[in-house]
Amino acid sequence: MVDHILRLKLALLGSAFRGAASAVRALLVLVLAGGVGTALILLAREVQVDRADHRAALIIVASAIALGTVVAPLSAGLGSALEPRRFAAFPVPRGQLALGLMLAGVIGIPGALAVTLGIAFEIAWADTDKAGLAILAGVVGAILLVMASQYLVAVTAQLAVSSAAVRMITTAARLTIALALGAAAMAVVLVQSGEDTEGLVEVASVVAATPLGFLWAAPGGVDAEIAWRLFGGAVAVAALVAAWPWVVSRIVEAPQRIRSAPAIRGLGWFDLVPATASAAIAARSLLYWTRDARYRAVIIALPVAPALMMVALALAGAPVPLLWLIPVPVFALFLGWFSHNDVAYDHSAMWMHVAAPLRGFSDRWGRVVPPLLIGTPLILLASPLAALWSEVPDVYPAVVGTGLGLLLTGLGVSSVSSALTPYPAARPGAGPWDQPPLIGAAAGWVQSFTLLAILAFMSPSLTLAVMGLLDEDPEMLELAGWAGGATGFGMLVLGILIGGFVFRRRAPELLGLLMRT
Amino acid sequence: MKLAKPATRRTGKPEVTAPGAKKPAGVAPGAKKAAPSTAKAPRAPRSPRAKPEPPPVVVEVTSLRKKYGSTVAVDDIDLTVRRGSMFGVVGPNGAGKTTTLSMITGLLRPDSGTVLVAGSDVWRDPIAAKRVTGVLPDRMRLFDRLTGAQLLYYCGMLHGLDRSTASSRTEDLGVALGIEGSLNRPVRDYSIGMVKKISLAAAMIHSPRVLVLDEPFESVDPVSTSQAIDLLQRYTASGGTVLLSSHNMALVERVCDSVAVIVDGSVLAVGTLDEVRGKQSLEERFVELAGGRVAVEGLEWLTTFSD
Repeated sequence: MVDHILRLKLALLGSAFRGAASAVRALLVLVLAGGVGTALILLAREVQVDRADHRAALIIVASAIALGTVVAPLSAGLGSALEPRRFAAFPVPRGQLALGLMLAGVIGIPGALAVTLGIAFEIAWADTDKAGLAILAGVVGAILLVMASQYLVAVTAQLAVSSAAVRMITTAARLTIALALGAAAMAVVLVQSGEDTEGLVEVASVVAATPLGFLWAAPGGVDAEIAWRLFGGAVAVAALVAAWPWVVSRIVEAPQRIRSAPAIRGLGWFDLVPATASAAIAARSLLYWTRDARYRAVIIALPVAPALMMVALALAGAPVPLLWLIPVPVFALFLGWFSHNDVAYDHSAMWMHVAAPLRGFSDRWGRVVPPLLIGTPLILLASPLAALWSEVPDVYPAVVGTGLGLLLTGLGVSSVSSALTPYPAARPGAGPWDQPPLIGAAAGWVQSFTLLAILAFMSPSLTLAVMGLLDEDPEMLELAGWAGGATGFGMLVLGILIGGFVFRRRAPELLGLLMRT
Repeated sequence: MKLAKPATRRTGKPEVTAPGAKKPAGVAPGAKKAAPSTAKAPRAPRSPRAKPEPPPVVVEVTSLRKKYGSTVAVDDIDLTVRRGSMFGVVGPNGAGKTTTLSMITGLLRPDSGTVLVAGSDVWRDPIAAKRVTGVLPDRMRLFDRLTGAQLLYYCGMLHGLDRSTASSRTEDLGVALGIEGSLNRPVRDYSIGMVKKISLAAAMIHSPRVLVLDEPFESVDPVSTSQAIDLLQRYTASGGTVLLSSHNMALVERVCDSVAVIVDGSVLAVGTLDEVRGKQSLEERFVELAGGRVAVEGLEWLTTFSD
């Protein structure tokens, strides 16, 4: 029976190469995994474990790769994941099923990566007096990875009760992998540049305290620490292995979870806002921001853009502390800009607004509330931290002012453009990355024009901020902050008024445009 | 039914020609003296020869036109709908029914022509006209992540109701249309028939003077249809006006008192049900107006079975 499950796993892996499109995808994944594996082995040979920064980087890289490997099976969309419930209908003895699934977890890219990670870890510690301990830690670590991954697949498969949930899980897994790879790459770059190694050591000590880095930090410790780290790892493996048959039989026997739409008492957000048209539109919009995959994807993606920019600039050799000035304005810019096609997300449901005796102002204002509610607290909270970490004195007013200014100006520009020039967007109910069937050239023009318009309106404040930075002039920085806030406020009010006017004039034409897509 | 009550108070009983009743008030005593001879009509206040004054016009459509490119979708349509009537617009597929109704409700801008709803020009003073109109469009989405109750509340807010009115009307409409058990589920989980019902409720929640319903009974089961018809009849009896389109001739014949037949964007026949259908059934008359049955030619192979 066990060999049947293993053969099934191999057949599933082989099927990834059937069909041109999926073969290309499988090849890309294979190349990526191969690249990561090769890089791991090559880097491991460079590691000098007698240096603290190298040890720290080793812990960080190993933990990051471990994290990526654990969630890797989820990134394929669970479609071909071997999870216990799939065998519920077959008369497979539970013990054999558990053993078969465990072994099947080793086969495949995540299993291979786990083994490679273990080997690379041993190579790094080879030729030292702790080589034997490293081999032990590597083996236990690899087994732990495979087991943890199995548990994760089994548990998430129970959570993935709707296609939307599956998409969310897949997206989250892919993002986690990307972030893990990014973190590993950053650790390597930092070590090679030789800068800021204290920070690296600090991060490594934090990671070493978590289950992720627990084992990988073992050989670097002193005697007692080594002992209890290895012991802890062994206990974890033993516990996971021992509990696995029980978990498998529980999952197979328990009744399937089906998405039962929970009966929602009351009216949710609608109960919390005043009983006016704009407040109701704000509540509805907020509900879509939090529940619709198309909006949620943006909320997830927004923090990633600044992070990627920071990593890219850091790799290019920009001074790291100064890069902390990037996240707040970039986040604010994109959050404000995202609303520029908001009505298109309603699709033809917009008729409700057109058929009602609604002031254009109410529609515009209601739609602006969710990004304001999301963005303003984040900007206010993140600005002091960013200013602190940037190590530029007196930069705080400029960060918070330009951040708020970019958000509000963006929302003002969006209020006008979403009434004036909507273009086809993914339909309601579509996945976050689904594209509409038809995007004209207009989309690109509108996107770039609105982005440029926001930057143009904010250019006085941004110029002041840059000048203040270059001259290290605190007054100029403060002025930039006030200018940003004032520009944002003015542009938001103006945008809502103009947008409302345009919306009222063009409502039927807008509806026609949305229905044609 | 809370929905109907305020309307009843406001307008009185239309079949007694409430608006006309004021004028002949002075004549009434004389008429009453004459009455004993015609004892069966004590309510007729005027001389037997004068026709009762028709109820006021609520929807007036004048020379409405709409072109899509080179095809004329709606070609010079005039319609007059009086208060308290259930007016049916019938026509074959693609005749321009939906286009016409969309222009009446302010969802589609006409190329020319005017639409007056309760005295307000839909395209000059849209806010006033939309305040008194309830709309059920065909084949348009709803905000379907909201629950039924949220959607009705939302619609009430867009029309300026207060919180308690919106909530109590949501309950009433849920009971009247038999969807009270589903109001706490997201609309996206509804069946097509339930979506029609929640749309009808959304159209009625602000107790409009006029309901414009595009295919309100399509894919609704017979039980729910008669439930909805009861609701609509109570609504018109208390002074509301319904303008609906349908393919279902039997249904139109059953519920409507006036009918307009639209073919190729023009009104071919309009009037009370009896005026339009004459001695035929509405369906026969409709097929005749719409170009008659085309004799099926060709397709001989269909009568020679292959085995």
